[in-house]
Amino acid sequence: MDVTFWGVRGSIPAPGPGTVRYGGNTSCISVRTSGGAWLVLDCGTGARNLGLAMMADEAPGTFAAGGAEAAILLSHTHWDHIQGFPFFGPLYVAGNVFHIYGVAESSARLEGILEGQMAPQYFPVQTLKNMGASIEIVAMAPGAPRDILGCRVTAVLNPHGRSGAMAFRIEEAGRAVVYAGDAGYGAQGPSAEALALYRGADLLIHDSTYTPEDRARYPGRGLASVDEAVAAALAANARQLALFHYDQDYSDADVDQLVERARRAIAKAQSPLQLHAAAEGTTIGV
Amino acid sequence: MKVKFWGVRGSLPVPGPRTERYGGNTSCVEVRSAAGTRIIIDAGTGVRRLGKDLMHEEFERGEGTAHVLISHTHWDHIQGLPFFAPLYQKGNHLYVYARRRDDVHLRAVFASQTDDPYFAVPIEETKADISFRELADSARFEIGDVDVQCTRLNHPYVATAYRLSVDGASVAYVSDTAPFSDILFENQFIARPPMAIRPLPEADRAKLRAMRDGVVRLCEGADLVIYDTMFTPEDYDRFPHYGHSRPGDALDVCREAGARRLVLFHHAPERSDAEVDEILEATRVTARQARLALQLDAAYEGMDITLGADSRPARGQAD
Repeated sequence: MDVTFWGVRGSIPAPGPGTVRYGGNTSCISVRTSGGAWLVLDCGTGARNLGLAMMADEAPGTFAAGGAEAAILLSHTHWDHIQGFPFFGPLYVAGNVFHIYGVAESSARLEGILEGQMAPQYFPVQTLKNMGASIEIVAMAPGAPRDILGCRVTAVLNPHGRSGAMAFRIEEAGRAVVYAGDAGYGAQGPSAEALALYRGADLLIHDSTYTPEDRARYPGRGLASVDEAVAAALAANARQLALFHYDQDYSDADVDQLVERARRAIAKAQSPLQLHAAAEGTTIGV
Repeated sequence: MKVKFWGVRGSLPVPGPRTERYGGNTSCVEVRSAAGTRIIIDAGTGVRRLGKDLMHEEFERGEGTAHVLISHTHWDHIQGLPFFAPLYQKGNHLYVYARRRDDVHLRAVFASQTDDPYFAVPIEETKADISFRELADSARFEIGDVDVQCTRLNHPYVATAYRLSVDGASVAYVSDTAPFSDILFENQFIARPPMAIRPLPEADRAKLRAMRDGVVRLCEGADLVIYDTMFTPEDYDRFPHYGHSRPGDALDVCREAGARRLVLFHHAPERSDAEVDEILEATRVTARQARLALQLDAAYEGMDITLGADSRPARGQAD
């Protein structure tokens, strides 16, 4: 699987000279499986650039030609995870097929949440039905694995805000990528179910919004510190960890310090865990 | 009067190296009178930085008042508001103004934005006092010492242009709008460009003429006009049904209105800094050829313009 980062920021896009290296777009990751399937993890503003990349090839059977299929997994529906959706180009090409999975009481409720963003007071397209592509919307319950485009996908609900955020484990061709984007653990850290989901992941992409100091300042925001990300990866025996979902006020230099802090913690634990810092436009092969 | 730009982009924020100079935040302009009346036009992502900046002043003490004029409630004009720090300080007052809609009350538009499961803090739970004021198309009213005039624009689901006059100077904010020639935008979704061969019904043409006259009147003799020039002529030919103007449309309005200065605004998300430079240069050439005595710039984040009398010391010294 090839995992590419299109948006790595939390809460709200943070344009400006201070965020050019890691990037200022909100959460969006693509997973290209060895079988060639497309999975999109969250639809923050990074989805605009992902859409442009997916539409670059105009041959028959592609997204530009209206002949392709993809799945979109939404960890939750806070703005920074869905606000790129109306600007995701492949959704506007008739013939493309999208399967959207997310956390909600029912599929109708999830559709209502996504329709809410398209409503005429907010966006000129007015409804998903005007977008063009065929869109299937499925409320996904945590627990039992589901087959999605040739991948085995399992979800666990982590604490975050009022409705929680899903972490996804995607398994294909003997490899596992885990995405835990927003994770507001309690004092005791990840739940047993979450740790089981992360266990042995070839790549764990984990919420690392804050320094421990800022985490303590904003306990109600339901977001993890870099220390919690490292602890989760070590406890779960992950092979690689990608820090992700940086605070909107952190400059590139601030993120460098998060990375340095994680590096020291991993060295201190004498762990072979490989460390990445998610940056827009970079790809990790798994 | 001071005018400062905090977000100059249209559609959605575009961080990255291509937009470093002009900026990637969506629409937000701050206007402050010499006496200290504070008006914010649109609350795109640029309003987040403005809010942080304000928290060094009376807003930090919970003694601040700001008036937010919303041109229309498309995302790129409201998406920063939940991140406006003064909202979370008890004692601050925020007045939000926008055109009255037929379907949804203004409060509901903003309440849904912060509702579960879209955002963590519902607007009812923010600590500042927020009031909503719905406006008629041609409303005229006062905010402190500032005279505010409105006129209707040609944009999907309708937008409002504002003229603010104080300290012997005027600024007009005209965004978002299509030209007033090919399509009349109201509440419908227009999926594709209309056929060129089908002429507009006379009733539509009359409405567009009246709308354009309103915009020219609003800009009459303005010291500064801020205008939606998101499209190049090529963009407009392809997407006339999206509701945005070209620099040439802004020049025509400014010439007829006798405006002194024009700032190109609401840059397209795909536009790189170099491309904005080129558009500005080409527009300057056009203005020179038309012998227009018009100072012409492209808006960038942090751009600061002083108009008319302004005796207020620089920010930070007075407060």
